[in-house]
Amino acid sequence: MGVDQPLRLDERLLLFMDQLEALEEKRHKLNSLIEEGWFSIAKARYSMGNKQVSALQYASEMEPLVCVETSVLEGGTAEFKCERKENKIEEVKNNTIEDIGAKETGLRRRTNANQKGVKEEEQERDQVNSKAESSTPEHRDPLKWFGILVPQNLKQAQSAFKEVITLSAEIASLQSAILATRKEMQAQKKEKQEKTQPEVKKQ
Amino acid sequence: MPGRGKLIAVIGDEDTCTGFLLGGIGELNKNRKPNFLVVEKDTSVTEIEETFKSFLARSDIGIILINQFIAEMIRHAIDAHMESIPAVLEIPSKEHPYDASKDSILRRAKGMFSAEDFR
Repeated sequence: MGVDQPLRLDERLLLFMDQLEALEEKRHKLNSLIEEGWFSIAKARYSMGNKQVSALQYASEMEPLVCVETSVLEGGTAEFKCERKENKIEEVKNNTIEDIGAKETGLRRRTNANQKGVKEEEQERDQVNSKAESSTPEHRDPLKWFGILVPQNLKQAQSAFKEVITLSAEIASLQSAILATRKEMQAQKKEKQEKTQPEVKKQ
Repeated sequence: MPGRGKLIAVIGDEDTCTGFLLGGIGELNKNRKPNFLVVEKDTSVTEIEETFKSFLARSDIGIILINQFIAEMIRHAIDAHMESIPAVLEIPSKEHPYDASKDSILRRAKGMFSAEDFR
């Protein structure tokens, strides 16, 4: 027990150092990407005009295209994972197309007795179609706030910031892990001190 | 317990907010308060602090991104936040590059080492 504890503390310390190093690397990448994004925005502003790329152009209604899935692990560490809604919409579209295809071939073979069932299925299909259609206008590309034809620089800025968002989730997870490791190390150090203090007293 | 579909909030200058909104994090509608705040020269510290606290109180925000120079204005509020969710991430601004020594998280991590720890 006495030998294990310093080893565990050393392992925690090494893990802590590794996490800090990983954090520094990701931070450096994040900062460069953000600067790249600003530079692209500045170039777009230069070609489009000051007021064309500003808060004045923001839409009056926005819907988030990216969200973050959070989960809390055993040690109190939080994990963050980015998810883009664009991918989900494509999946819904693909599913609706597949469903329509299957139902159409199925319908041709149905007998008269099953006509009521067929009507219900058609209604469902219409509902699914309307859902898919209503979801696409809502998930508009924010690039369109700045005009129909936007310069390449603005698209570059968008892709830089999309990467920043994904990295932010990773950094948030790492930060949480670092704080959890620190807590564990403090607890283990306290334990170690409590065990060594009675020995000192005896001496 | 997994928490699905939380938002990313941002408190930053105009270019920072524009960039992140281009990335698709923005939510703005009549029913709910926006998940972003564009900080301008005339934005008061009270407004920034109130917005930050309102983001912390919301259960649908997972990450709060904030320019470091703005974080410095409300450092006491950020240091007081001990929960893991929402996570607070300090980011640089155009006039103020990122300084790791000012970051709340790294200051907490740094503070644990003293000369006695290495005996």
